[in-house]
Amino acid sequence: MLLRMVTAAAAREASKVYGEGDNEVRALDGVTVEFEQGRFTAIMGPSGSGKSTLMHCVAGLDSLSSGSVTIGEHELTSMSDGDLTRLRRTQVGFVFQAFNLIPTLSALENIILPLSLAGQSGDQQWIDQVIDTIGLRDRLEHRPSELSGGQQQRVAVARALASKPAVIFADEPTGNLDSKTGQEVLSFMRRAVTDLGQTIVMVTHDAVAASYADRIVFLKDGKIAGEMHSPTPEKVLDQIKHLGE
Amino acid sequence: MLRLASKMALARKGRLVLTSLAIILGTSFLSGTFIFSDTITKTFDRLFTDVFRDVDAYVRSSSFIEVPFGGEQRGSTPIDALPTVLETPGVADATGDIQAFARIIGKDGTPIGLDNGPPTFGGIASASVAGLWTIEEGRLPEGPTEMVMDRASADDGAYVVGDTVRVNAQSGSREFILVGIATYGDISSPGGATFALFDQPTASEFLLKPGNVDAFLVQGDGTMNQEELATAIQAELDPSLKLEVLTGAQIAEETKNQIGQAIGFLTTFLTIFSLIALGIGSFVIYNVFSITTAQRLRENALLRAIGAERSQVTRMLLVEAAVIGVVGSLLGFFSGIAISQGLKALLAAFGGEIPSQGLSIAPSAAVITIGVGTVVTIVAAIMPALRAGRVPPLAAMRDTAIESVGKGRARLAVALVVLAAGAAAVAASLAGADNLILGLGVMLIFAAVITAGPLLARPIGLGIGTPIAALRGITGAMARQNAVRNPKRTARTAAPVLIGVALVTAFTAFAASVQTQVRDAIGEQFRGDYAITAPQQGFGGLPISLADEVARVPGVTQATGLGFAAVKLDGESRFVAVIDPASASGLIDYSMVQGDQRSLDANGILVSQNRADANGWSIGDVLDVQLVDGSARSLAIRGTFDAQQFLGSYVVNQETFAGSDTNLFDAFIYVTTDGSDGVRDALFTVTEARGLGTLQSRDEFVDAQSGQINQILALINALLGLSIIIAVVGIVITLLLSVYERRREIGLLRAVGMTRSQTWGTVTWESVITSLYGAVSGVVLGIGMGVLLIGVLSDDGVSAFTLPVGGTITILVISFVIGVLAAIYPAWRATRTDIMQAISTT
Repeated sequence: MLLRMVTAAAAREASKVYGEGDNEVRALDGVTVEFEQGRFTAIMGPSGSGKSTLMHCVAGLDSLSSGSVTIGEHELTSMSDGDLTRLRRTQVGFVFQAFNLIPTLSALENIILPLSLAGQSGDQQWIDQVIDTIGLRDRLEHRPSELSGGQQQRVAVARALASKPAVIFADEPTGNLDSKTGQEVLSFMRRAVTDLGQTIVMVTHDAVAASYADRIVFLKDGKIAGEMHSPTPEKVLDQIKHLGE
Repeated sequence: MLRLASKMALARKGRLVLTSLAIILGTSFLSGTFIFSDTITKTFDRLFTDVFRDVDAYVRSSSFIEVPFGGEQRGSTPIDALPTVLETPGVADATGDIQAFARIIGKDGTPIGLDNGPPTFGGIASASVAGLWTIEEGRLPEGPTEMVMDRASADDGAYVVGDTVRVNAQSGSREFILVGIATYGDISSPGGATFALFDQPTASEFLLKPGNVDAFLVQGDGTMNQEELATAIQAELDPSLKLEVLTGAQIAEETKNQIGQAIGFLTTFLTIFSLIALGIGSFVIYNVFSITTAQRLRENALLRAIGAERSQVTRMLLVEAAVIGVVGSLLGFFSGIAISQGLKALLAAFGGEIPSQGLSIAPSAAVITIGVGTVVTIVAAIMPALRAGRVPPLAAMRDTAIESVGKGRARLAVALVVLAAGAAAVAASLAGADNLILGLGVMLIFAAVITAGPLLARPIGLGIGTPIAALRGITGAMARQNAVRNPKRTARTAAPVLIGVALVTAFTAFAASVQTQVRDAIGEQFRGDYAITAPQQGFGGLPISLADEVARVPGVTQATGLGFAAVKLDGESRFVAVIDPASASGLIDYSMVQGDQRSLDANGILVSQNRADANGWSIGDVLDVQLVDGSARSLAIRGTFDAQQFLGSYVVNQETFAGSDTNLFDAFIYVTTDGSDGVRDALFTVTEARGLGTLQSRDEFVDAQSGQINQILALINALLGLSIIIAVVGIVITLLLSVYERRREIGLLRAVGMTRSQTWGTVTWESVITSLYGAVSGVVLGIGMGVLLIGVLSDDGVSAFTLPVGGTITILVISFVIGVLAAIYPAWRATRTDIMQAISTT
């Protein structure tokens, strides 16, 4: 790569410990990782590897036991709940596995929710562009219950994009979808990075999903266990097999 | 089965506490009312047993008139008959007794004791053992200038033996020297009443009529029992005196019963309000059960899936309800003890001080409270329990479903049918049917509105939420949606507010209408510049002689008194207004329909046109009137006047009572002045400065008279306050359960950037919308009921409906505040939602 990569989010020596003494569980054990701007990074690992914990901590949803986390210029470790909330609102986008949308709000209201919460109207042109990219312009007034699972996840991704955050975190975004719908959502996420220049960090255990990313970070027992660039499903499966040994 | 049910009930302690809270509040008022009435009944029973301890026989006039609204007035007993009683074999001692109106004036010129509070008596202090009073300090009064007072009044007025004390009574306002302080039985003053005591001749002359007392208290010498003694005395008395002899036990019992009757009225009044509170509480219980069974859908479905029968699931929930019902009512019963003290304080605040010693709790109070509380809880749980039983086992596999929104059309049909039935009942009662039918009609209309609630909640909630959404942005918009997303729940939560607000509004509207009319009526009748009002209406008042004294005040051009007396008219007990036509002319105006007010002589009577029409009377007809001492008068109708229901239906001349034993007082003295400087001060010196009534200008007087109903309204509203508290608790519970149910949603919102204060705002605004929904529908219903009530009572003189604008605005503002307050704890819980936990539960 010729361009010098700018870091969108990073964790340094990040540890997360639950319990004490004999019951102590190290969900994260000194993880140092950077997520570059304008790239699509996947975090993979077996259950209990700490991949979700890592994402939650980097996204400012959960706090570390030790180490530090930055998003853009912001150091999260010492922030108050109010500052963290405002940071999440402006700098971070989220897509969860399920229950992404507020059932009482329409699709459009859900998309602009973080902006509404911040009392802003946002960049209308950008929002239009996002809406066109997800291809749900005719369903904007519908409630989540009137949308299919795939449509709901696309609205969720659009919501994550709406405030042009520094980084979008996606936690198993296709976990509840069938493979065809899942691929729709993934290619949309891929386009958000390639065409719209966004930064996405996605936690997944699905090799096919991970293959949409530019780079994969493998986690095992709370530690970084490897990295892969320009993945394909075959390469990923191979690596997982390797990790499992 | 039972073990499983109680295990599941105990497993969710929070839910158990919430449900119990509604039951505790609902039952505590009921138990409070029971304990309160038991306690005061016991106190009075003990008091009168004690007081009449040494009285073996009681001699009094056999002629009496039952006073409208309870109680009686009795003729007096000539003191001349006392020697006959004393000479009767078996009598050890006897003494005269008087319990008449007298007001002790404090050193600062204001009367001792509460206006509209316990009565203020004058009586006889005698050396006789049978006398009710014991001299504690000083000595007995002798002669026309000496008096004794009760310990409590002496302490209250800081009077010591040797002081000069002013006392107002029927014969006027006089000063006495305090020579002693007495106690009644063993207590300083019975029931908070005040007592001024004199020797018998002074008491008779000053309080009643020279030579007369109310009764004789007789003590036997122990040679015969009470019945024999009473019979012996009766045999000795001249039958023409119309005296009757009771045993000591009888008079004690009769006094207890009279008090018991008064307490009975009070208890009935309080019981009505506690049943309203319990009814509102049952709504909250029903709501909590409905929500919790919906939230436990999967749990119940799982039970069904693994082989529980429908009836088993239902029964399990009912057992749970029974357990909660028993525990809740038990706690409610104990909270009732605190409530009973609160009720006492409340009545004291409204001038009805009631003595009580210790606490008396009848076992029946516990049994009824716990029984009623448990039954109400189980009944409230029946519908949710049946619904839980109908859960398909498959629901265990599905995501938690929101409560189904029932079939709108069926609901609407039921609501309309009930409404039609209610309207029919109301129409019937407007057409003259029994008032019970009206009550039924009103209940049906309430039922219809509550049935239609789930249909109304959405549009009304959205309407109320619109300005909030416009002003508060996304938090307001989400609160608006949250408030209407489950219309059934919102309607159920708002129902207690609706009922409470409807009742408050109806009473307020009614009071406002009555007030307007009283104002008009008094304004029309009273033509003077000033009025002097007796401190206590109904018992005692201003001496008749005061009007003449006032008339002699420099600057006063005219003064006349207006009083009321109880008589038997055509065999019925009635209050009649008593005036002096000569001085009243031009000052009291009874807008006459026929005849002339001035033609009212000692043998005449004025009747309202309404009464005349109803009885087919016309001018010149003679009415038979019996006075309190049994003497008869034949009064010819001299004229009819326009129906002014608040001013009485009959008017007689003061002179009609000449020569009878009737105690006459003025309730009001109306005054016209020449407007000269200092006339008000001069009037004040003669009246209020001597503790004789309150001096008011025309405007002040009209305001005060028409404002009296506000006191009753305030008491009613205070009693409805508990219902409002239960309504608030209902909102708190629903919000807590909703917040719990939506914890994932709240977690998501927090994750995408909702701040804690925004979370707080969303919950609060939802609460405000729910509360206002209840209040708005309640106000509409309440105004409707107010109009109806006025319509039904139009025959009784209340005709024009006045909309209580201020009252309605106050109610809406209070509902807003209630919404904000009810949301505090649930909102706090919402802000504490653990984001991680909320979003990771799938």
